[in-house]
Amino acid sequence: MQKLKTFLIIFIGAFIGSNLRYGESLLFKTSSGFPYGTLVANLSGALILPFLIHYLQDRFHLSSKMILALSTGLLGSYTTFSTFTADTYRLYQSGSWIMLITYLTITIVGGFICALLGNYLAASRAFVDYAERGKD
Amino acid sequence: MSVFIVGFGAGIGAFLRNELTSLSQKIKVDFPIMTLLINIVGAFALGIFTAHIHNGSLLLFLGTGFCGGFTTYGTMNMELSQLWFQKRFVRCFLYFALTYIIGILGFVVGINL
Repeated sequence: MQKLKTFLIIFIGAFIGSNLRYGESLLFKTSSGFPYGTLVANLSGALILPFLIHYLQDRFHLSSKMILALSTGLLGSYTTFSTFTADTYRLYQSGSWIMLITYLTITIVGGFICALLGNYLAASRAFVDYAERGKD
Repeated sequence: MSVFIVGFGAGIGAFLRNELTSLSQKIKVDFPIMTLLINIVGAFALGIFTAHIHNGSLLLFLGTGFCGGFTTYGTMNMELSQLWFQKRFVRCFLYFALTYIIGILGFVVGINL
């Protein structure tokens, strides 16, 4: 029964997250074939996840079930690694070297920077909240 | 209809990812080995699906849905940032390099199999 509950919680989050990513991939489709959709989903997800875990969770007293739905389910499925490898292979096959290198660099370096930024943002927001509470 | 195909695939993939990640927490390894394995296996599987499945809906279910939901980029980068803040730079770099190199190779092997 507990397992079924976990399944449903993650399922709902993943259902929404994957469709946001799918929607973006359709929205940002260009004739050049550059995978803007995957990039937007991955970078924004990498930024929001640490902010959720290290700030929003405490700030809004989110339950562990809510966190499971939002982090493992929604953001876990909103971002994707497998599609990134497929995009990389497709760009390599088409011989678009500039697009390939640009895509690889932004994904590899950008995702890491976004995650660091998400952590810093969470810490600074938490500090501002703490300082404001101190004034009362 | 596509919304349900993608959503169902991702729901199953994400649940499977969670099961595997919880399982790995019982084995005390100081390295995010399970996310690494999940991303490599997911990329490999997507390669196989892309090469052999020609039905558009089934590929949407297994590829964009299941593999997309099973693998994760957000968690991987969050784990990377945690290793970075813990000043475990060797582990951080190793996780970084292994994910991208073996992950991309996994897809290439899968699609050419």
